[in-house]
Amino acid sequence: MDECQSAIPAHDGDLHVVAAAHHIVKALGTTKNLSDDLRKILIDLDAHLSLITSNIDSKGGKGFVEVEERLKRVERKIVIWESDRIMIWDSGPKEVSDYLEAVDEVQTLIDSLRGLSMNENQKQKELLHRASSLLQMAMSRLEEELIHMLVKHKQQSEPTYMPSPSSQRNVVYNESVVSLDNESAKEASSKSSRSDECGEYIVDLVPEHVIPDIKSIAKVMFASDYGQEFCEAFIGVRKEALEQHFDILENGKLSIEDVLKMEWCSLSTEMNKWTWSMKIIFRVYLMSEKRLCDQVLGEFGSVNSFCFLEIAKTTILCLLNFGEAIAMGPQEPEKLLRLLDMYETLADLVLDIDALFSEDGGSFVRLEFHKLLEGLADSVKAAFNTFRVAVSSNGSLYPFPGGGVHPLSKYVMNYISMFPDYSSTLNLLLEDQHSDVASLVSEPQCGPTASLSTSCPMACHLRSITSSLESNLHKKSKLYKDEALQHIFLMNNLHYMVQKVKGSELRPFFGDEWIRKHNAKFQQHEMNYERVTWSSVVLLLKDDNPGSSSLSKSAFKEKCKGFSIAFEEVYKNQTSWCIPDPQLREDLRISTSLKVVHAYRTFLGRNPAHVDDKCIKHTVEDVEKLLLDLFEGSPRSLRNSRRMMKT
Amino acid sequence: MDTQEQELEDIELFQKHVSDRFTELSSPPEDDALLSVSWLHRLLDVFLCCEAEFEAILIMDRDPSQLSKPPFDRLIPEFIERAVKALDICNAVANGVDSVRHCQKLSEIVISALDQNPLGDGHAKRAKKALLMLLSAMNLDDKEGTHVKATERSWSFGRRGVNKEQIAGHFRSLSWQVAKNWSSAKQIQSMIYNLVAPRGAEASGLPSPIYTMNVIMIFVMWALVAAIPCQERNGLPTHFPVPKQLNWAHSLIGLQEKIADEWKKKEKKGMSGLLDELQKMEKLAQSLIDFTDSFHFPGDAEKVKEAAVNVSELKEIFGRMDQGLTPLQMHIREVFHRIVRSRTEFLDVLEKGSAPVL
Repeated sequence: MDECQSAIPAHDGDLHVVAAAHHIVKALGTTKNLSDDLRKILIDLDAHLSLITSNIDSKGGKGFVEVEERLKRVERKIVIWESDRIMIWDSGPKEVSDYLEAVDEVQTLIDSLRGLSMNENQKQKELLHRASSLLQMAMSRLEEELIHMLVKHKQQSEPTYMPSPSSQRNVVYNESVVSLDNESAKEASSKSSRSDECGEYIVDLVPEHVIPDIKSIAKVMFASDYGQEFCEAFIGVRKEALEQHFDILENGKLSIEDVLKMEWCSLSTEMNKWTWSMKIIFRVYLMSEKRLCDQVLGEFGSVNSFCFLEIAKTTILCLLNFGEAIAMGPQEPEKLLRLLDMYETLADLVLDIDALFSEDGGSFVRLEFHKLLEGLADSVKAAFNTFRVAVSSNGSLYPFPGGGVHPLSKYVMNYISMFPDYSSTLNLLLEDQHSDVASLVSEPQCGPTASLSTSCPMACHLRSITSSLESNLHKKSKLYKDEALQHIFLMNNLHYMVQKVKGSELRPFFGDEWIRKHNAKFQQHEMNYERVTWSSVVLLLKDDNPGSSSLSKSAFKEKCKGFSIAFEEVYKNQTSWCIPDPQLREDLRISTSLKVVHAYRTFLGRNPAHVDDKCIKHTVEDVEKLLLDLFEGSPRSLRNSRRMMKT
Repeated sequence: MDTQEQELEDIELFQKHVSDRFTELSSPPEDDALLSVSWLHRLLDVFLCCEAEFEAILIMDRDPSQLSKPPFDRLIPEFIERAVKALDICNAVANGVDSVRHCQKLSEIVISALDQNPLGDGHAKRAKKALLMLLSAMNLDDKEGTHVKATERSWSFGRRGVNKEQIAGHFRSLSWQVAKNWSSAKQIQSMIYNLVAPRGAEASGLPSPIYTMNVIMIFVMWALVAAIPCQERNGLPTHFPVPKQLNWAHSLIGLQEKIADEWKKKEKKGMSGLLDELQKMEKLAQSLIDFTDSFHFPGDAEKVKEAAVNVSELKEIFGRMDQGLTPLQMHIREVFHRIVRSRTEFLDVLEKGSAPVL
């Protein structure tokens, strides 16, 4: 009991017990029917308890000496660091644990001083005051240590895997691509993000070994009700770090007005950057940031998600803003592929976003990105539609010189050959427009050759587009006065379309039936061309009188002349025509040759007597050779021909 | 003829509603001071109501080709352009509300620090630190988002022996969402540009509500920019070229002039937003910082009492911000989406009404 009298209970619990006991004793003392023994015990107890509390209450009495001692000791430990330029956490584990212990002690002293009943005790007040000033000093110091730690280690932990914007395949698909041949067009226009897949990649934004230190500071600061300062500091440094990463990705912070006014080249670049940045920010940086917040603040309840949201907000709103600006804009056909990229990226990320911002405070983030996804879906549909309309409404005033493959055919076929890459997305988005289109498409895809791939929404739309293209080409062919050229033109273009389908990923969507049909179409034009051009010429060589012997000299001369003139006319016209595809050109030459050369040879053979006449301008060999000049695309006249007339 | 009469009636009704709504806004009850958080909520509601009515008059049951003829072929695209500018302002203001929330957070620290009995030196120091950050956050020169980094903050002071209490930089770098050279003042300026009231025959037809809606949109955006700190507000125009004889415009102009006066007063001193809560918070912060500066335990009883009163007022403001700021951001987003939708509707109308593209 004697020891009790001078020892000050260090814990709240004991003090309260003393006070409570004292109170009970006093209360009991007022009851009436107390036995003498009981009364004596109570008086005794009262005296003891009064002694204890008076010890505590006495002005500057022995009771506070120990507290003051402890305070002095801990003061020294804390104040000594104030003049020191070295950071505590840089010094060593012993210094760290000493300091933290000291802070803990201060908090304990404050708690116990507070727990005592507050009478007019100057000493108590003074000690409490000193202790809370000391605490503030320590908290301030801890804040600085925290910032120092976060900043120092932030710089050292850049993830080694750093995307470079220059590695982005920068695709600009516009009319100028029309001039590219198959190969380079495909390469230039390939999907920018396919092979740069970005899965979840959590990095240590702060090295593993630093986390416990940060946590220890957090614990102490929160325990002392300085949690808000901790959050301020933490959010400040982490937010800055995230924004630095974001800056490296070089997303221009564009206003909506800027985006709507931007020309296509730059816009395409920005859309690419956005697609890439979204993946990096959400899958790498925000995942990692969330993990860091969980590690550091996990035990402090809603503070965790609050801090994470504050850190992430500005960056994600910037990304959201750009996405919304794009979804608002006019959806020209050339945007389609980039829009598909953006849509697919966001569709992929939406679940991650939901997971990262699953708490209440983050609900608006989830909502807005879901809205954006819908907006992008609408944009894709709109762009697709505009593309379709553009294909059918593309008008020409003048016939395309040479009758070769029209730029429109190249543009359309090259463009759609990239759609299969996005087939699952397009099938999803175009589904509700499927039925309208399926009825428009003239090629029935039924029977044994029909399959899932040829009947899916995208396939129907693709066939509808090529169908529009065909109609348009027919219109364009009517601009040629020469019927033969009309057929050449259509032959060239249909052949091109078929080649494109056969040689790309479009094949499964069009199917063999379509290819067969369209082969037949261009072959038909081939035959029509021959008929239109050569029938009349060959007719001139026809034997009017079968069975009779050779013609008279004048008749022969006339026929020869007629043939020469007709032939030269054709030569003059059709050397400037173009059949770009070498195989097709060869085919046509061969079949023409068979017809014409054969007829000429036969004609000359039937009239051997006149073979040496001067009226024969060309030999059979000449005709053969001259036919080779056709469809080269460069106009010639026989006067300029290298093959001079034989005298 | 009937539809024309109906139309005139609708227009009149629309403008009467506009006038009524702004009159209501001009005489707010005590709790709802001009440019307070709750007043801003009401302002946004007014905008949404007016916009809905406006769209109904212009688009519903109307032949689209009518709106593609002069003068609508100029008026509608102009309206759409202004709408886009308004969208950027919505984003900037919503971002600005974040900085106000930051002030709210800092004031929370001040309250925790000073809501102590007895108040000690430690508490005062803690409060002062937070108050300094609060004041600098409020008086942020909103040029291009001042980036006083967390790193600079600590290392230019503190460790090198300079009195830590002089740390003046603000803690969290306030980064802006928009481009460096974007200016909210210029944006408002360009919205006002070319705003001409319809005259003569046009004044009694459809051009009139279009003008009205333009004015409303500009006013709402302007008021938001004045209230909430956002990027580059220097040079915010204070005069609206709205003719005084327009009946529906009286209360709106009155409001505008009142706010403009406040703006002019504050502009010279260096600006935080005109948001009522921010203004009050600034005053309280100023007197509290004087208090903490001169405080030595146990402190002057009178001053301590006064400070306690200030703290409880600060608590009240904190409460209003806590309740109203996040909803305000949501409200602004709502306005944003509505404007986007409205723009799409008008673009559709123009497309349908114009000659088919060959």
